[in-house]
Amino acid sequence: MPEFLEAAIIGVGLGAQYALLALGFTLIFGILGVVNFAHGGFYMLGGYVAYSCVSGLGLPYPLAVLVAVLATAALGWVFELLMIERLIDDHLATLMLTLALYLIISTGVLTVFGPISMEFTFPVGGAFRAGPIYVPRENLIVLAVCLAAIAALYLVLFRTDLGRALRALADDRAVGMALGLRPRLLFPAAFALATGLAGLTGALVTPILSLAPGVGDPVLATSFLTVILGGLGSLGGAALAAFIVGIVEAYTSVYFGGSAGALVLFVMVLLLLVFRPTGLLGRDVRGA
Amino acid sequence: MNQHRALLAAATAICVVCASVPAWAQGCELKIGSMGPMSGGAAQWGLAMDAAANLAAAEANAEGGLKVGDKKCHVTVVAYDSKYTADGAAAGANALAAEGIHFIIGPVGAPEATGIKPVAARNEQIAWNASYAKDALTPRYPLMFHMGPGPGAWADAVIKQALKYFKIQSVALIAPNDQGGTDIVTVDEVAYKDNGIKTSSEYYQRGTTNFAPIITRLLAANPDAVDTASSPPGDAGVIVKQLRLAGFTGPIGRNGGPGTAEILRVCGGIDVLKDFYWYEAQPPNTPEMRAIDEEYKKLLGKDQTFGTSMWSNLPGARMTLRAIEVAGTMDDVQKVAEALRHLPVDDPNMGKGLWSGQKQFGIAQELMFAFGVGIIKGGENLGVTRVEPKL
Repeated sequence: MPEFLEAAIIGVGLGAQYALLALGFTLIFGILGVVNFAHGGFYMLGGYVAYSCVSGLGLPYPLAVLVAVLATAALGWVFELLMIERLIDDHLATLMLTLALYLIISTGVLTVFGPISMEFTFPVGGAFRAGPIYVPRENLIVLAVCLAAIAALYLVLFRTDLGRALRALADDRAVGMALGLRPRLLFPAAFALATGLAGLTGALVTPILSLAPGVGDPVLATSFLTVILGGLGSLGGAALAAFIVGIVEAYTSVYFGGSAGALVLFVMVLLLLVFRPTGLLGRDVRGA
Repeated sequence: MNQHRALLAAATAICVVCASVPAWAQGCELKIGSMGPMSGGAAQWGLAMDAAANLAAAEANAEGGLKVGDKKCHVTVVAYDSKYTADGAAAGANALAAEGIHFIIGPVGAPEATGIKPVAARNEQIAWNASYAKDALTPRYPLMFHMGPGPGAWADAVIKQALKYFKIQSVALIAPNDQGGTDIVTVDEVAYKDNGIKTSSEYYQRGTTNFAPIITRLLAANPDAVDTASSPPGDAGVIVKQLRLAGFTGPIGRNGGPGTAEILRVCGGIDVLKDFYWYEAQPPNTPEMRAIDEEYKKLLGKDQTFGTSMWSNLPGARMTLRAIEVAGTMDDVQKVAEALRHLPVDDPNMGKGLWSGQKQFGIAQELMFAFGVGIIKGGENLGVTRVEPKL
């Protein structure tokens, strides 16, 4: 019984981390129609920027997280404006561009920081305990940030003019542009929002786990798996799928071992693709 | 006349300059490869391999080059990141062969050793794997050499030393679910059982970043100790961190590749690690070992930061170059391999060792030197005890 409860707690914690990652990934696809292969790179970069701010500049951790968000958002904005925007309708080209960016980021990090894990720990340690059950304080903070991010994204997309404009461009770009919407301003903003989210996740999660070149690799796989499950482009679907993935991974790993966790997830996605190709909450076709 | 004198003076000057430059500058270059995971959780091991190759090359170059027949050759190192995978090592062997490289210092892990063996044999390349695979060497691949023995040779000594400090009646082992994990865990389990300790084991997919669910499963068996076996140091650091967060207070062991410095860095320090016992490839902090680091700094102009694995990889790199000298060729790989097999195991820093492997692999191409067992108790590092090699 303690293991059953503990698995649920771990699953929710994992789900929160995956949701933060998947939201940014699905946002870029939903609005721009671009599969961002550099998403793991922005996660990694967020971690390294926060680490540099804390250990190099001596900034307090919350400020370092903010800098990481701004830095990754700025890089995303510039990259979209200068590279993606020119080839936005060529899916293969954008795929290669984002993959190239990931390689540049990971090689750059390797060159600057070296290959060995950094000494980077979360400033809040310990756990709340009740007998054999424990809830790490750091996981609660990530969960709170995740819920706040989902709420903020919802407000931006559904309660602001910027969100309405972005959704209009996602639905039908030609009509949106005929109505005066300007993709050259709005698309970089959407890209920056998503990469900032990845940077936020990296800055929050890498001190809990570890920070080394290559930490972005599994992030891409997890994000992909989550958004496929939720439905590419669906924010609600990504959030829901993230928690499903986290909980399934936790229960299968606890009851069937670490190898089974990954296997069950991929089988689950495979079955979903066969029986419901649009994912849990996805649409049949992207509008634009 | 003056013109002739000037020409003569110029010719003389050219001859003097030619005579004063190292012989290798006249065109003889020996390229050797270094291979291993140079990024990711096991990067420390691959970089240690590369550092050993570079130091051996720098030593030869500092002597004016490696004497190959009647030439002095400049030794350069080409590194390849094989990413702890079989396909990475196989591709690496081919990539190095494409550059005409027939001597490879590396790779590191069991999957890499499996991947490189047939490819290196086909390419006529001598390679030195440092893996703990059960088939790290086989008579079928006589150009493969082994940096040092696996846990079958030292796990018992590590466990016996740990039992002097910690009460352990049961242990849970955790490692990746590929050959780099399973080959080591099964040997470690035998060593624990031989010491009267009950074992259980858990495996995880390489690339796992959050070990919390696996740790919950692991601790359900209520073990006295947890052994991180051959988990890469980066992974082991996260495992230690999450074990302590889950409330595990028992000793944590490491009957696998060295990496204590990185584990300490990732887990949050010695106060988190608290009680720890581990295999160390070499007993550190002896004058001979410190001399390696000093020489590294002197010849390569930077600190040696790749841990103790670098020390244990150095003899293999040095002996490869020595064998080329003895064979008097860098083209006849079989002749170099034959010379290597007959070299005495006597390293300037590591001291005397043995050619082992006959009993386990059926081929005595494994270097065996003294090794160390480290203990941290109550957050205090009690140091590393030296254990002499024996066949």
